Amino acid sequence: MNGFRAKITSLFAAVLLAATANGKASFAAGGEDADDATAKAHEIAKGDVLLEALLTELDRSKEQLKMDQVKPPYYIEYRVDDVDNLDTDASFGALLLNQRQRVRVLRVVVRIGDYKQDSFYGQGMGGTTILPFDNDPIALRRQIWLMTDQQYKAAADAYAEKLSALKQFSADPNPVDDFAKAPVLTKVEPLVSLKVDENAWKATLQEVTNLFRKYPEVQSVAANARFSAVNEYFVNSEGTISRTGRTNATVTLNGSTQATDGMRLQRSPYWTEIRSENLPGRQELLKQATVMLDTLKALRNAPIVEESYRGPVIFSPDAADDIMAGLIGGNILGKRPQLGRPNRTTGAFATSYKTRVLPRFVSVVDDPTIKEFAGKKLVGSYDVDSEGTAAQPVTVVKDGMLENYLMGRLPIRDFSTSNGHARASPGTAAFPSVGTLILKSSEAEPAAELAKKLKEMVSKQSKPYGYRVDTLGPGNAPRLLYRIYASDGHEELVRGAVFNELDVRALRNDLIALGNDPLVSNRVTGVPQTIIAPSLLFDELEVKRADTSKEKLPEYPAPDLQKQ
Amino acid sequence: MGVRRRGMQALAWLLTAQLAAYPLAAARATNDEPVAKASSDVVLQAMKNELDRAKTDLAKSDTPPYFISYTAYDQDQIFIIGAYGALLTDTAVKRRSVDVTMRVGSPELDNTHGQSRVTGMTSGILPLQDDPDATTRVLWELTDREYKRAAPAYLNVKTNTAVRAEEEDKSPDFSKEQPSVHVGDKLTEPAFDKKAWEDEIRRVSGAFRKYEHVFYATVVLQAGSSNARMVSSDGAQVVIPSATARLVLEAQTRADDGMDLLRVETFQAPTASGLPKEADLLAKLEKMAADLKELRKAPVAEPYDGPALLSGRAAAVFFHEVLGHRLEGHRQRDEEEGQTFTKKVGQEVLPKFLTVVDDPTLGQINGLKLAGTYDFDNEGTPAQKVTVIEDGVLKNFLMSRMPIKGFEKSNGHGRNQPGLMPTGRQGNLIVSSKQVVPEGQLRQMLIDEVKKQGKPYGLYFDDIQGGFTLTTRSLPQAFQVLPVIVYKVYADGRPDELVRGVDIVGTPLAALTRIITTGDTQHVFNGVCGAESGSVPVSAVAPAMLFSEMEVQKRAHGHERPPILKAPGIESSTGGAAKVNETASPREVNP
Repeated sequence: MNGFRAKITSLFAAVLLAATANGKASFAAGGEDADDATAKAHEIAKGDVLLEALLTELDRSKEQLKMDQVKPPYYIEYRVDDVDNLDTDASFGALLLNQRQRVRVLRVVVRIGDYKQDSFYGQGMGGTTILPFDNDPIALRRQIWLMTDQQYKAAADAYAEKLSALKQFSADPNPVDDFAKAPVLTKVEPLVSLKVDENAWKATLQEVTNLFRKYPEVQSVAANARFSAVNEYFVNSEGTISRTGRTNATVTLNGSTQATDGMRLQRSPYWTEIRSENLPGRQELLKQATVMLDTLKALRNAPIVEESYRGPVIFSPDAADDIMAGLIGGNILGKRPQLGRPNRTTGAFATSYKTRVLPRFVSVVDDPTIKEFAGKKLVGSYDVDSEGTAAQPVTVVKDGMLENYLMGRLPIRDFSTSNGHARASPGTAAFPSVGTLILKSSEAEPAAELAKKLKEMVSKQSKPYGYRVDTLGPGNAPRLLYRIYASDGHEELVRGAVFNELDVRALRNDLIALGNDPLVSNRVTGVPQTIIAPSLLFDELEVKRADTSKEKLPEYPAPDLQKQ
Repeated sequence: MGVRRRGMQALAWLLTAQLAAYPLAAARATNDEPVAKASSDVVLQAMKNELDRAKTDLAKSDTPPYFISYTAYDQDQIFIIGAYGALLTDTAVKRRSVDVTMRVGSPELDNTHGQSRVTGMTSGILPLQDDPDATTRVLWELTDREYKRAAPAYLNVKTNTAVRAEEEDKSPDFSKEQPSVHVGDKLTEPAFDKKAWEDEIRRVSGAFRKYEHVFYATVVLQAGSSNARMVSSDGAQVVIPSATARLVLEAQTRADDGMDLLRVETFQAPTASGLPKEADLLAKLEKMAADLKELRKAPVAEPYDGPALLSGRAAAVFFHEVLGHRLEGHRQRDEEEGQTFTKKVGQEVLPKFLTVVDDPTLGQINGLKLAGTYDFDNEGTPAQKVTVIEDGVLKNFLMSRMPIKGFEKSNGHGRNQPGLMPTGRQGNLIVSSKQVVPEGQLRQMLIDEVKKQGKPYGLYFDDIQGGFTLTTRSLPQAFQVLPVIVYKVYADGRPDELVRGVDIVGTPLAALTRIITTGDTQHVFNGVCGAESGSVPVSAVAPAMLFSEMEVQKRAHGHERPPILKAPGIESSTGGAAKVNETASPREVNP
């Protein structure tokens, strides 16, 4: 109940440091006359009660929010995610859950100080609350008002804490600003809504998971469908106003079993689209589920990878997408290191700016402005990021050289502005994220050509077979891994293998060819993202036996079925 | 990150997740043919079949379980939360969850011993539909998973017990009980007019708008039905449908010195139609707002040691938190616990004129329904009236099937929320007194006592909040006693003076021995109590009480100021034009 810590000390510190102890807030205006801008903003918001409420509280706080002997805020932002979700789960032919959730989440950031040095630190990095979903202006404004007040006080404390923390480190001769300036943006898009045939999906998921009856070898069969419509509102004290909507729909199948020796075998194919009607339909899902169950069954009887292999490996586009997301997507984000740390950013490419990180024939672009690729709509596309900055295409790697990072408004060394890549899940802080990441080669070849090369290399090295990865699971562990025999080209499914040292070094040194068969992978893990990558050929990777203990088999057999 | 836990905004995130238990609680029903009724229940039949199979097949393993139970909870709940005239949350939750309990070893020593207690249960989600194939399949998976947890845990327990120093209480881990067979009658689905309730919650929560000093306020409605089915390997079979509705008003302000001040009112009824009428809610709300206004201005309490009077409601909460929790059986055994009462059986712990029972079989008192009423506890043991303290002497504890020294059997108090292992818990804790005066005379007796002790004033505790009164909080704390409405009653006839920030010093338990006399009317407090085994509905019942001595001090509190800007849209209660009492922006929107 008494959630308040004694922060009287830090408040005192803030008092001592407050330079402008009186007068009105000196907000950075967007160039226009402030009153004109305000009037224009409200004109845009007309008819949207939520947007109007946000602007009304923003104006009020800009004009009046000020504590004695504490600086007024120099920047305030409000982000609201109006979320409508539907979740349906089925297992063994029956419905487990069917849940609709509607929620409006507000995130407030208040900054004290200036662009060079401010309070964005610790508790000053923003706060979250929920807003009413009724369009009642006073009720909406009450929540906004309370959270703004709380965040202003938090910023005051955080500012003092940050300045005191900085005293531990010697001053940086070339300090990086705490907050990037950004152009004022106005963009109000039409609202999106959830459109889904709920009953049809319930029936489909039940039908799909009912296939368990035909597969006594498979222990667990489940399916989930999740549909989401999010309208994101963003306003800040610089004058930016945006309202953008996004929808996505994901269906996931899950199958799990054990081999007779106890090894756990899993598959979880999924499909994500902007519109639910573009997901695989009933027939297609039944087909895909059958494939999944058949492969699980096949995996149970597949030989284990006992001996280590070091040689050429080919990745299907589906597996390549996962490699890209993990090894490149995770390392090109302009995330600021901890206070006092000298690094530019975090991750494996932190010190790789202007150095070669990929083969010379490979380039990587993140371009959220592309709406479609090869006829498929991309969930990673957006117009405005979660900080109200327009999305921009970014060439991250050009001819193998790292040229850029994905940036939000938190500057890092050598990168002082946002390129529109700060994104957030509802209620969370915005961080640099992948939008639509595309891996391309200046020397792309047909996939068949890659397979041919693999066979030639294998023969040359007098190996009986090479490896082809069809599907990866968590941690880039293969789920469907095949041996391709050099003699006659036939494939053999194997199990229980992992890669040794499949890392950024391998991408740079051992990746020798890319296919011309790029595959779009839409994914919603946190924020919606799209990865587009073709087949990859590595000249040398190590495939070895997974060091996982085998689980015990079930103590007793599954129950008999009553219905057939 | 950066999200501070604060009183002002702590609620609604957690609420949808906080499906409080409606365990095997129920409207009491008689029934003659449980077996016949059970056979038409597809889910119950599937549970029985799968349990039998598990029992037979696992008996062949190296370390077979000696006890298995399945408890499935159908929950169909609606949560509506309103604030200042609009809805924050409006969710319907429908699900069927299941707890698979397993004990490996023997009743003397099993896998649930000591810190390993959590290994006794694995929970999951059952199909919503009455589908026997899917239901048995899920039960099989969960049972296998639970066995793979329980069996190694038992081996660990055995080793640890051999290695460690002997425990003080060498009681077995599980009591032997007569298995119950009971199938409650299906309830007619309570009518719930969702639209009407949404509108009422908008209106009631909107009434807080006119109070400028109420910074944060919510109205929470939770209504729904539940059906609990339990089967065990020793032959128990219990099916209990139930329904409940709860409405909570919560209002908060902050004094200029940073002290947070909170008022909570909880109402409970079997169905939403039994909750107070809107006019009554509004009257209550007005009182809460008035209390908060007074509290903001009230002086902070000074350290004091002297006579005190507790209202019936305050005394009920006080007894629940301070006494009731310490009488829960498992606490006498857990070596981490204070074990205040463990060795006091047969000794006087309260004044002779007080008797305390916990009686879940009692449905109501003075026409008021009790929240802690149930027929069978979560272990399938029939509820029993337990006299814990008789004429001041400690007699008994609230027992689940975990025995303690001298108390080998359950007395039907093993309770839990779905997903957690049961422990001894309170149901309806009832304090009765043989030394009573008409309630109206207690105030004068307080003044007399104050004069006798030569003090300038005594304290009147009108309201105390405990863990279980704060039903919308995420982590209710057992034992928490938080006086909220406390008056100084002067000996010289000056008017009573409200004070805030009162904290009871030392062990509140010591105060219990200093009760001089009590009122003649029993007051009921209904709420949801949180402890290790989760949230369970409870009642506490007590008369007003006069204490010869209570020591209090000023409570530590936060120092953050009240909101800097005025609340948006403070307006007159009669409606009309929105009067904004801030530097109004010309674009002010009227609601």
